[in-house]
Amino acid sequence: MDLENILVQLAESAGASGCEATAAETSLSMLRKYCPDASIEKGNVIGYFGDFDPKRKTVLLDAHIDQVGFIVTYITDEGFIKFENLGGIDRRILPAQQVVIHGKLDIKGVICSVPPHLSSGDDAVPGYDDLCIDTGMAANEIRKLVSLGDTINFDVKCRKLIGNRLTCQAFDDRCGVASIIYALEQIKNLQLGCNLAVLFSTQEELGERGAAIGGYRINPDIALAVDVSFAYSIGEKEEKCGRLGKGPMIGISPSLSREISDKLVSCAEKASIPFQTEVMNGLTSTNADRFVVCRDGAKGCTVSIPLRYMHTPVEVIDIKDVKLTGRLLAEFVKETM
Amino acid sequence: MKELLKELCLINGISGDESAVRDFILSRIPDDCNRRVDNLGNLICFKKGKSSPKKKLMICAHMDEVGCIVTSIRDDGTLTFDTVGGIDPFVLAGRQVLVGKDGISGVIGSAAVHNLSKEEREKAPKVSSMYIDIGAEDSSDAKKYVKPGDCVYFDSDFISLGEKCVKGKAIDDRAGCAVMIALMNDELEYDTYFVFNTQEEIGLRGSRVSAFSVDPDLAIVLEATTASDIDGVNGSARVCSLGKGPVVSFMDKSTVYDKELYRLAFDAAIEENISCQTKTKIAGGNDSGAIHISGDGVRTIAVSVPCRYLHSASCVINTEDLNETYKLVKTLMKRIFAI
Repeated sequence: MDLENILVQLAESAGASGCEATAAETSLSMLRKYCPDASIEKGNVIGYFGDFDPKRKTVLLDAHIDQVGFIVTYITDEGFIKFENLGGIDRRILPAQQVVIHGKLDIKGVICSVPPHLSSGDDAVPGYDDLCIDTGMAANEIRKLVSLGDTINFDVKCRKLIGNRLTCQAFDDRCGVASIIYALEQIKNLQLGCNLAVLFSTQEELGERGAAIGGYRINPDIALAVDVSFAYSIGEKEEKCGRLGKGPMIGISPSLSREISDKLVSCAEKASIPFQTEVMNGLTSTNADRFVVCRDGAKGCTVSIPLRYMHTPVEVIDIKDVKLTGRLLAEFVKETM
Repeated sequence: MKELLKELCLINGISGDESAVRDFILSRIPDDCNRRVDNLGNLICFKKGKSSPKKKLMICAHMDEVGCIVTSIRDDGTLTFDTVGGIDPFVLAGRQVLVGKDGISGVIGSAAVHNLSKEEREKAPKVSSMYIDIGAEDSSDAKKYVKPGDCVYFDSDFISLGEKCVKGKAIDDRAGCAVMIALMNDELEYDTYFVFNTQEEIGLRGSRVSAFSVDPDLAIVLEATTASDIDGVNGSARVCSLGKGPVVSFMDKSTVYDKELYRLAFDAAIEENISCQTKTKIAGGNDSGAIHISGDGVRTIAVSVPCRYLHSASCVINTEDLNETYKLVKTLMKRIFAI
């Protein structure tokens, strides 16, 4: 399986929170190879691997398909597009970024900035009130193509760094999707002792909203939120971060099931899969927070892929970590009855 | 000229490393041009016209672009760097870059927004605390691919925005280079020197020596200048606007321009029905600063294409301005000998 190609395809599919259709189609087509009946339900991609037996436990593997982005709020009479954020974005990196507006067509533009020759030298970070997008078009042209509420993403291509590393936007959390696909490839010829559901969920970045309804629909006994977490880079706190290339980060937190955390650790040890632990002290800010309290509750845990520069157009991951995460997920479902 | 500009912008050449740009230009200038490359890498060309006036005219543009340079490789495999030319830290953070001759991909990352304090989020990042991540596991891994002194370029495509505008890196001053190449391929009325300068962005270095060796009486500097005609900026703070033609300024940070040449440009523009504007703020500077005080002085004018987001990976110009700039300079090349 060409995991790198899968990662590139997923990361380059548009899917700002609330507008995930393209990313949903891409991930659905990948999932159907293993879950032929998979479909899109109210935006979420949902599929079942193998037979469903109501007497068995249901394990849910989840990754979110939305990414941080922007939304069009206004078009000025000069044709500039005003916008606000979808999800948390560092405004310090926005000036002069190339973006693509998903209007009737994909329209490219540049976020306006004042060049150094003219800036007053103060170092205030522009707010959304100060920012706009330049598409090179006049208002009457752009209004034909772009409507208020259209979403916007960074316009960036995936690039291969040296070794096993890749950079693109939206690896948060398309690499989670890729790791689940990789896990399914590992178990594709096996009969499992549990029901296995896969959810590629919407609107995580706006507060895990897709997971709320997806979790309700699937009603899992055990739910693994496969997301990304902070890989150490300069400027981050070492003790709060995992390391790139050192394997999946298994979550341990009062809000998660210690039983599942322990089982993930023992699965990793048994299969000699390198792993890291990520200790949190309450909620996890992942879809696991939703699954755990869905309906009459589920045993939840997080499995996170280390990632640098989260929510920027230049997120960096190590393909090795995606593979190791997929292997751990496969081992876990194989071991679950 | 748009295609020519695209080819020029996609070539990498920060200050002091302009050879790839120069090689491309050499392949595009006509055979009937005398040419030489001086010790600083300036490309100095001379083309005969139908007549040889007493005064010597020099037209120039600079080949270099802003970028960065690798200063060291840290133990963890990340690269420290400095800027080459003035670049705002806002337009460096969160970008893809290419490092060195082999174009190794890297990113200028920044800590996840989740982990920044409220104060940090509202404060401009500092270039001194930025670094480039090429995916190396450690310094010995990185050293296989890059070394201190390697040039760093924005990884930026060249695209159309709407029907008239284009976006790319290095439009400052490949726009000037493109106009000059087009002019050189025309038949000339008068003998003219055409100079492609190096090292403008680090302090007008190339033009200082090329102006000395050409020793012109008159100079026309072709540039891209900063336009700030964006939402939220009003009146004179817009400086100049896209779509209103070439910019001829009376003064900037490096030069008070020759008054007669300034008037000549606007008179010519009106007579020839070419749109033309001036800058409404004393800002920026260009090779005129070195040229007009070269030798015993050179009467100098700058004709610039207005450009938004100058010195970033995403410079934006209106191609109509590029064509109008070509027209204005073409007529000035004849009229300038009358003064």
